[in-house]
Amino acid sequence: MEELIQQLKEQIIEVLNLEDVTPADIDNDAPLFGEGLGLDSIDALELIVMMEKEYGIKLKNPAEGKEIFKSINVMAQYVNEHRTK
Amino acid sequence: MSEPILITGVGIVSAIGLDRAETLASLRAGKTGIGPLRFLKTDHHEFPVGEVPLSTDEMAARMGIPEGQPRTRTALMGMMALQQALQQAQLQPVDIARAAFVSGTTVGGMDMSEQYYLDFLNNDLHNDYIAQHDCGACTESIADRFGPFASMSTLSTACSSAANAIINGANDLRCGRHEIAVVGGSECITKFHLNGFNSLMILDHERCRPFDETRAGLNLGEGAAFLVIETMTSARRRGVRPIAVLEGYGNACDAFHQTASSPDGEGSYLAMKEALADAGLTPADIDYVNAHGTGTPNNDSSESQAMMRLFGSDMPPVSSTKSFTGHTTSASGSIEAVICLLALQEQFLPLNLGWQHQMPDGITPVTDATPRHPLRHVLCNSFGFGGNDSSLVLGSVPPGSYAKGATDKATADDTTTTHVAQRGVAGEVYLTAAEQISIQEGLSEAWLDTPIIYSEPYVRSLDVDFKQWLSPGESRRMGKLLKRALATSLSAMHKGGVEHPDAIITGTGLGCIENTEILLTHLCEEGEENCKPTPFMQSTHNTISSLVSIHTKSHGYNATYAHKEASFDCALEDAWLQLQLGRIRTALVGGQDEMTPKYFGLLRKTGYLGNPGQTAGETAVSVMLSAEATADALCRMTYFRRCYRPSAETLAAVAAEVGAVDAVMTSVSGAATSVTPLLREAASLFPGTPLLQFKNIFGESYTAYGLGIYATAHVLHRQLLPDAMLIEGFEKPTALRRILVLNQIDGKDYTFAILEQL
Repeated sequence: MEELIQQLKEQIIEVLNLEDVTPADIDNDAPLFGEGLGLDSIDALELIVMMEKEYGIKLKNPAEGKEIFKSINVMAQYVNEHRTK
Repeated sequence: MSEPILITGVGIVSAIGLDRAETLASLRAGKTGIGPLRFLKTDHHEFPVGEVPLSTDEMAARMGIPEGQPRTRTALMGMMALQQALQQAQLQPVDIARAAFVSGTTVGGMDMSEQYYLDFLNNDLHNDYIAQHDCGACTESIADRFGPFASMSTLSTACSSAANAIINGANDLRCGRHEIAVVGGSECITKFHLNGFNSLMILDHERCRPFDETRAGLNLGEGAAFLVIETMTSARRRGVRPIAVLEGYGNACDAFHQTASSPDGEGSYLAMKEALADAGLTPADIDYVNAHGTGTPNNDSSESQAMMRLFGSDMPPVSSTKSFTGHTTSASGSIEAVICLLALQEQFLPLNLGWQHQMPDGITPVTDATPRHPLRHVLCNSFGFGGNDSSLVLGSVPPGSYAKGATDKATADDTTTTHVAQRGVAGEVYLTAAEQISIQEGLSEAWLDTPIIYSEPYVRSLDVDFKQWLSPGESRRMGKLLKRALATSLSAMHKGGVEHPDAIITGTGLGCIENTEILLTHLCEEGEENCKPTPFMQSTHNTISSLVSIHTKSHGYNATYAHKEASFDCALEDAWLQLQLGRIRTALVGGQDEMTPKYFGLLRKTGYLGNPGQTAGETAVSVMLSAEATADALCRMTYFRRCYRPSAETLAAVAAEVGAVDAVMTSVSGAATSVTPLLREAASLFPGTPLLQFKNIFGESYTAYGLGIYATAHVLHRQLLPDAMLIEGFEKPTALRRILVLNQIDGKDYTFAILEQL
């Protein structure tokens, strides 16, 4: 799980082009959207594409993203349970 | 108040019909055009679409276009609709020659670019289509089939493009520039935006259900519609019967998000409110609203809020006819305006198909086509990405009021009126600030003293440190062009002392072409899986103008023009007209284009770039215009006029209007000698006048004319002319008081602007 968390943080930074952020800056329990990293709905869509490409997870409804991207811990949990690759 | 603007001819092509009669029959029968995909080559067969029921080849055959001649679907549908409109309005070639043409599109020739992109890059099999890619080329193809028109412009504000084309044409008429304008838009479905909308997760897998609680997105549609609008004087003189009246219009920016509407629908509320005020009506006067109603959860909820704010408990009948046509994106504004006209003429309420479940906080759409009151005034909404929200008010013709032959006096005035209508408008507008980031030192006028002279065929922009202008969080999704555009805009607004301009208007030939390339490359090389939303969102031309509005929270007028090398010219013209009309007091006008190595390669093939002595550059220029002079104002603009394929007589007439100037700043690109055709023509129009150039300093780019305006403004302000600007063989001007800035493109498009020292 630790490994997956680290990997997700690196992928988020790369996909969302968060130039001044390092994996250590992302709190495992802090919200990714709104406060915390300050991400928005387009970032959520980018993360949905990333989850499909990297982990084979296909979301049909963008609203599901809201729950999944609550924090890195929640996201890692979800990826761990639903990944097909 | 200027005289009424009448609609005297319309043409329409969409999934529900190839002409007015078929469209009306489908609307009356409640028959949708949305169904399984037939013509577009895509893997995404899971999405229902509203395709025009003809293949591209069938359309070309109908328009008599020989095989082997380049054709794009958007241009073909445009031609089909335009032909009907011209016929109904009985416009003869002589009328067309003095009419303005304004068309809206965003995809332009993308249907072919997405098929041939790899060929463009790797071989010479389909080079003909490279020059068909951009929006301006599409407008030219449509219009030249019947033209030449007197002037031409291309709006590109995504899904409100055609509505804004109608508004621009109407402002032109109100200003007395032309008496007739043909306005509308065209757009075909492409793999590019089908995948783009899919990456935004706003496509419904079922038929769309606007304003229904279970709605889950939009269905893409396609089509075209054009309207002939003209002054009452012109319609009477020509003896044509008006179909309806264009009573008013509004354009406002939501200034909220690039792809989402604000929860309270601020932009749409402001646009509707402005349209009503412009028409001199109150909300209670509106008998029907053709909503934007895309069927996405976000739009329908936001638009409902805006309508409930405007109409309160007295909600008129509302429907979204996208349930018939699908979302025809850039064409939707004119397609839905024509549907409104059919409703006014036939006195019925278009239905809102697929609606079953009431939204808790939403409006209840039309379920019965029979109106309770006669339809007199209808409102038509079109909203685009970036919060480009526009609204039109269309009204039925009061019996007897504008009847044929109502006055014989108009006929007697024939010659005078024609003359006035073709004249440029003379008024005063101040340039209070002008900034650039280009191949000269950015946000600086160092080029006045020490211009950098390049010998390379292609140079990238010299960027500035953007941190002063935007935070890392904000800039994370922005390409270089967006950063340049924002920095020049904010700096010009700051220097001009304006926090929220009344209008933000941008010209861009290709938009953020780097992002377009990313998505095209992905589609061509990796296929239709995993397309990312960011490149799509940024590929729409209006993303630049919207960004400036969003960043500065400016809710005023916002528009984007994409008309090749005249893109900036169109934007400047829009601001000029609205300043003349008193609709706005301040405007930020921008010209923004980037050039990628790949696209430079493509434009070399078309003969536009890579010519002897020419340097292709990049442009980010922002100019603040104001109706009032400020202490630091750079100069004033006293004349503006654009023409398309003008006759020798027209050019001579323009030269006479321009009168004596101290110098002509020309758009000559590359090797410039007295025998260069453009310079020979300029020398014969303005004999004995020194000719100048700016592209040897600022480079060639689609919006370089903006840099010509910028440079001339600073030359007048500093009273300093760099030697490099003087064209060999001409004497240095003896004074720098009044300079004509002339854009001439391939001997077809002309722009004349006079700037004067303060």
